[in-house]
Amino acid sequence: MLAVENLEVRYGGIMALRGVSIEVAKGETVLLVGANGAGKSSLINAVIGLVNASKGSVRFAGRDLSALSCDCRARAGIGYSPEGRRVFSTMSVKDNVLTGAHGRGKVAQREAWDWLSGIFPLLKERAAQPAGQLSGGEQQIVAFARAMSSFPDLVLLDEPFLGLAPVWIARISEAVRQMQARGTTILMTEQMARPALKLATRGYVMRGGEVRRSGTVAEIRDLALAEEYL
Amino acid sequence: MEGLVATGLIGISLGAQYALLALGFTLIFGILGVVNFAHGGFYVLGGYIAYATTTHLGAPYPVAVVIAALGTAGLGYVFERFLLERLVDDHLATLMLTLGLYLMMSSGILVVFGPESPSFEFPITGVLRGGGFYFPLQNLIVLAVCIVAIVTLYWLVYHTDFGRALRALADDRAVAAAQGLRPKLLFPLAFALATGLAGLTGALVTPILSLAPHIGDPVLATSFLIVILGGLGSVGGATVAAFIVGLIEAYSAVYLGGSKGALALFTLVLLMLVIRPSGLFGREARGA
Repeated sequence: MLAVENLEVRYGGIMALRGVSIEVAKGETVLLVGANGAGKSSLINAVIGLVNASKGSVRFAGRDLSALSCDCRARAGIGYSPEGRRVFSTMSVKDNVLTGAHGRGKVAQREAWDWLSGIFPLLKERAAQPAGQLSGGEQQIVAFARAMSSFPDLVLLDEPFLGLAPVWIARISEAVRQMQARGTTILMTEQMARPALKLATRGYVMRGGEVRRSGTVAEIRDLALAEEYL
Repeated sequence: MEGLVATGLIGISLGAQYALLALGFTLIFGILGVVNFAHGGFYVLGGYIAYATTTHLGAPYPVAVVIAALGTAGLGYVFERFLLERLVDDHLATLMLTLGLYLMMSSGILVVFGPESPSFEFPITGVLRGGGFYFPLQNLIVLAVCIVAIVTLYWLVYHTDFGRALRALADDRAVAAAQGLRPKLLFPLAFALATGLAGLTGALVTPILSLAPHIGDPVLATSFLIVILGGLGSVGGATVAAFIVGLIEAYSAVYLGGSKGALALFTLVLLMLVIRPSGLFGREARGA
């Protein structure tokens, strides 16, 4: 479904990604794991189009995304939940969620809201509350729902556990399982390898802007857990 | 007592006019992060389009007002889409572009219509009198149209997909785009909405006040003052501040004299900046 080949990303003179290649098949949950600065978020941002790649290609569902803007990539079927949640703080929870379903018509929006607020009752309870007033874990649920409201084929989850208490990590993990149960393909990054490995089917261990190892969860577990402490 | 009530009504009417102007100004800042120095120019252009449509084409005044609003909105769309959009993140460049557009609009109007104020009068005259108050009918009509426009704008911003998308872009442009919102479509539309409001206000108000090529300067200054008082980028703040400014202007003009009124206003804004730098309803910092 997603094929990234030989991708390079530079921030001025700093090379954030050095010839990274990854693949994500339909229905998989693929984990990008590595320490801070490993290039995980740069890779996610390059896939959604928030940063430009200086070399390499990103193909999604057989289509080359390289020339497409960020909004075109999202409308092509990619959902995005950013690092640090970045909910629209002054907007209500419901408006945040429906932003992801913009332009899809009232019926599709109602369907998305009913489905998501059914999975995450918190959304209904806090529907009218400004999202900026929610706790970090609650905001993460809103960011998930916003990414899912367009019923995307692929969801990018960037550091979903970042800064969360263990109780919220468990709840967010459950939310990811809900996405998996629906058959959603997921590419997620996480510094906290231990809980993330429980959710993934395959993974890539990154360091210094490169992929150091890839394979099944069992194959990468040792290196991934070692990287967690770096 | 009659004078007190009448002045209050004039103040509310002024406030509604200022609100329409300031809402457009604050929308552009809030969504695009652009301080539109051409905003006063769209007000003047709206007045001249309405004047030319009624005088030279013989159209009824309400039709002229609609044409003025649509014309200024169209120009705003084209300006944003083909010039401003390319440089929207460069604050100095957008400042120069909007200032340049204002100078071009003022000069163009001067060349086409000349420096003299044309005779452009509101088609309805008369005064509404009631128990303890009087109110010029033209002000009443302008007030009604402004309130309808303000309510429509609020509905658009807070109860439609379009408004939700604009608010998301204002909050975090990058993340909004990553949710599939199209800045290249929505930014020009937002700009057109704002300049259309300025043109509508110009078409409504210039027959009552005055019409001349350079009246855009005080309009820009008042818009600035209102959005600073209300909080840059805040739609609610701009509305409340506009009515505060309108009432202060009206009462000070009657009871203190025009220059003292302006002094009172600027003192108020200065105090606001010292006590609450982000304005009445402003946020501490704008999203990237």
